[in-house]
Amino acid sequence: MQKISMIINGRAASGHVDSRTLLVQFIRDHEHLTGTHVGCDTSQCGACVVHVEGKAVKSCTLLVLSCEGANVTTIEGLANGEQLHPMQAAFREHHGLQCGYCTPGMIMAAVDIVNRKGHHLDEATIRHELEGNICRCTGYHNIVKAVAAGAEAMQHDHAAESAHAHAAE
Amino acid sequence: MKVMKFGIGQPMRRVEDLRFITGKGQYTDDIQPKRATFAYVLRSPHAHARFKISDTAAARAAPGVLLVLTASDLAHLGTIPCNGVPDDVDMVLPDYPVLARDIVRHVGDAVALVVAETLAEAREAAELLEVTYSSLPAASGITAAMAVGAPQVWPDVPGNVGYDTSMGDAVKTEAAFAKAAKVVSIDVVNNRVVANYMETRAAIGEYDAKRDVFTLTTGSQGVHGIRKTVAQTILKIDTLKLHVKTPDVGGGFGTKGFVYREYPLVLEAAKRIGRPVKWVADRSEHFVSDAQGRDNITTAHMALDARGRFLAMKVDILGGVGAYLSAFAPYVPWLGMSMATGCYDIGSFFGRTRIVYSHTVPVDAYRGAGRPEAAYVLERLVDACAREMKMPPEKIRALNFVTPKQMPYETLTNRTYDVGDFAGALKAALAKADYAGFSKRAKLASKAGKLRGIGIASYIECTAWGDGEEGSVELRPDGTFLMRVGTQSNGQGHETAYAQVVAHYLDVPLERIALIQGDSVQVPTGNGTGGSRSIPVGAAMLTRASVILVKQLKDLASDILETAVTDLEIEDGAIRVAGTDRQVTYGQIAASPKASKAKLKATAEFVPPEATYPNGTHICEVEIDPQTGETSVVGYHLVDDFGMTLNPLLLAGQVHGGIGQGIGQALMENTVFDGEGQLISASLMDYALPRADHLPSYDFETRNVPSTTNPMGLKGAGEAGSIGSSPAVMNAVIDALYRGYGITTLDMPATPHKIFEAIRDAGGYR
Repeated sequence: MQKISMIINGRAASGHVDSRTLLVQFIRDHEHLTGTHVGCDTSQCGACVVHVEGKAVKSCTLLVLSCEGANVTTIEGLANGEQLHPMQAAFREHHGLQCGYCTPGMIMAAVDIVNRKGHHLDEATIRHELEGNICRCTGYHNIVKAVAAGAEAMQHDHAAESAHAHAAE
Repeated sequence: MKVMKFGIGQPMRRVEDLRFITGKGQYTDDIQPKRATFAYVLRSPHAHARFKISDTAAARAAPGVLLVLTASDLAHLGTIPCNGVPDDVDMVLPDYPVLARDIVRHVGDAVALVVAETLAEAREAAELLEVTYSSLPAASGITAAMAVGAPQVWPDVPGNVGYDTSMGDAVKTEAAFAKAAKVVSIDVVNNRVVANYMETRAAIGEYDAKRDVFTLTTGSQGVHGIRKTVAQTILKIDTLKLHVKTPDVGGGFGTKGFVYREYPLVLEAAKRIGRPVKWVADRSEHFVSDAQGRDNITTAHMALDARGRFLAMKVDILGGVGAYLSAFAPYVPWLGMSMATGCYDIGSFFGRTRIVYSHTVPVDAYRGAGRPEAAYVLERLVDACAREMKMPPEKIRALNFVTPKQMPYETLTNRTYDVGDFAGALKAALAKADYAGFSKRAKLASKAGKLRGIGIASYIECTAWGDGEEGSVELRPDGTFLMRVGTQSNGQGHETAYAQVVAHYLDVPLERIALIQGDSVQVPTGNGTGGSRSIPVGAAMLTRASVILVKQLKDLASDILETAVTDLEIEDGAIRVAGTDRQVTYGQIAASPKASKAKLKATAEFVPPEATYPNGTHICEVEIDPQTGETSVVGYHLVDDFGMTLNPLLLAGQVHGGIGQGIGQALMENTVFDGEGQLISASLMDYALPRADHLPSYDFETRNVPSTTNPMGLKGAGEAGSIGSSPAVMNAVIDALYRGYGITTLDMPATPHKIFEAIRDAGGYR
């Protein structure tokens, strides 16, 4: 067992882990943040996407020991208290989710797309950028609409900017 | 009745979304019971083998191991039953044991359960189990299993044919074929697919020794059916000794509705070790432990007169069921046959249905269950008829449709369509798709070196038949309402849709109406979600319950306000004397000494007298790159008749998702077993699921004709998208290939490789 410490959603998290432990297992089993999901075993589905140092990563692909001292944001850390992040609000407004299982990973990936590609995203860009996230319920139509609307809304949203800044620290 | 702002027909945003978008959803694997232990199922690497477990001592002695179970430990348990034998069929029901005994019959067949303090310890210990397999010849899939001298899956099922039954009039049909001007025939394969809900199955077993009560927590499509089967048939205990709970479910698509082996296993293990036992499938395990879908090989023939009228039709279905009979497996191809004539008025009909065992993973109901297969065969056949008759595909459809004047219409498969305007939906869809402008688009594509095709599929399906739902609506002391319904959302949004029904009658915001589902104690009865029944049956029941509750609450308000009931109206979460400001809120009614539990709760039941028949037309436009064989869906338009729209936002979501699965099946998804029965597409690296850039936007609208079989006029909408889509896509692909290369047939999935080969066989790219 080895010691690991990091910041998750602005709070210190530490523990002793088996060296095989993946970041997603630490987040779910040790920190009990179960919003980050496991949907496959081959890093294909993206249900486990979180932000590490402000960048989207599949948390099933990282050994937690490689994240010593890292700044991690999960879906639970995206809203500003009771105020939803604009991307979360957009997914609800546009019915961009059904069963909700892929949703945390989708939203975390979508915020990362905006961070990289800006606020005005066309459909082709969104569809291409979502290639690492699988949804089996929605046929993607409403997810694409939600990401476009969420990207626009993030432009002027104070909460989003501060969350972004926080994640990028 | 006036339109309520939160009520029926409004595009309300979902109340359940708040927890899902903030990471607070709770799926089975998110539940971490105190003192939980972890189970691992050891599965067969062989498709067919005799096996012996010679030593379990090493595994039992491994670090952290608490329990090892093999078949010999489970002699007291019953087998997994099959409840889906069609009424007119007499068949042998082979044993489906909780763990395989002596012989394994498919890759992934469960051989042993190991429970340990951690999952890693359970997995490692499973490797210490000494299992000796002597492999036997395997029948890998329908064709191999039907071959002369094929290995037998079951000794008492000769030739691997589970049943052989027919529907319709053979003599009359043959006579019609004999005098037909034209006979058109097709052979189609409906490829086997894997549900691949994003949440894999999981189960937690607990046992309370003091009360002698088991608790099973699992993502299901209805707790009551699972409770009955697991308690009565497998554990052989009283139904009330098993409590089944279902938390949030990450997708179901039919496939999560069945009893699987892991459910009795975690319960048995929990009783033996006195601690909770948790099992979670990983994705690769999903491919071999959960029932798969579709898997038909079908031949169909149409007899036509010189004008293109359908005189008679013959269909011969071989339905693969895999090695064991899953819950409804025998019923699915039969159900498909019962919808074989679709939207068309056909002179006579004969259908033969056989189910076929093979040494492959079991097959059962998957989104549409038989109806997508039926629509696929029929719409491919109708397009083939159009080509051979040199008639436009929309004209041959319109010529042969059952007309509104013929309603109610008795089909030759013993169904009664109550209402529907198939020609109306087709016409509207053609307009939406700018069908008239297609040839111009095809010319432009051709100039760019691409092949354009357009495909039509006019479908009808049956939903919400059979069992009813009994449930209740009650006013709680705090003035909020509570619904208890025995269906189960797997993502459809029942918390919102059902609340809209109650809100419609009681005029309260959806946030003040809660739903209890997924709990066999708190909801006394239920028949679960499947066959697109939840809204047409559940909402119809809630309508009745709401009407009763309104009456009861008005009676109470009349007492409290000392006013005649006829002077009362419901407005803004209160009951008031019409035209005055004298009112009593729901909270005040609940708190009134005049109120009693009985007066604050209304129970109702709705049993559908017949199925509902949603229908419509999908039109798909594709562009194929003949040099690579790659297909892009460049247009998707559809007009559906769902009878009545409860929530247009949620309805569109159901349709979109179904289409996504249909396009996936048509273009990408394939379950591949090699000649030895090895599943070689058992991960998301090997099994192609559609991603965002594989799918188009959908142009969807409704053209509703209210159903007459339920009080709201609803028709089920959960499966329809998957039913119209795969034939529309394939008709478009074949249309493009026919225009470019004269190709008239291609089986799903139309992968670039398959299209490339078809073009090569037709003389090659030119």
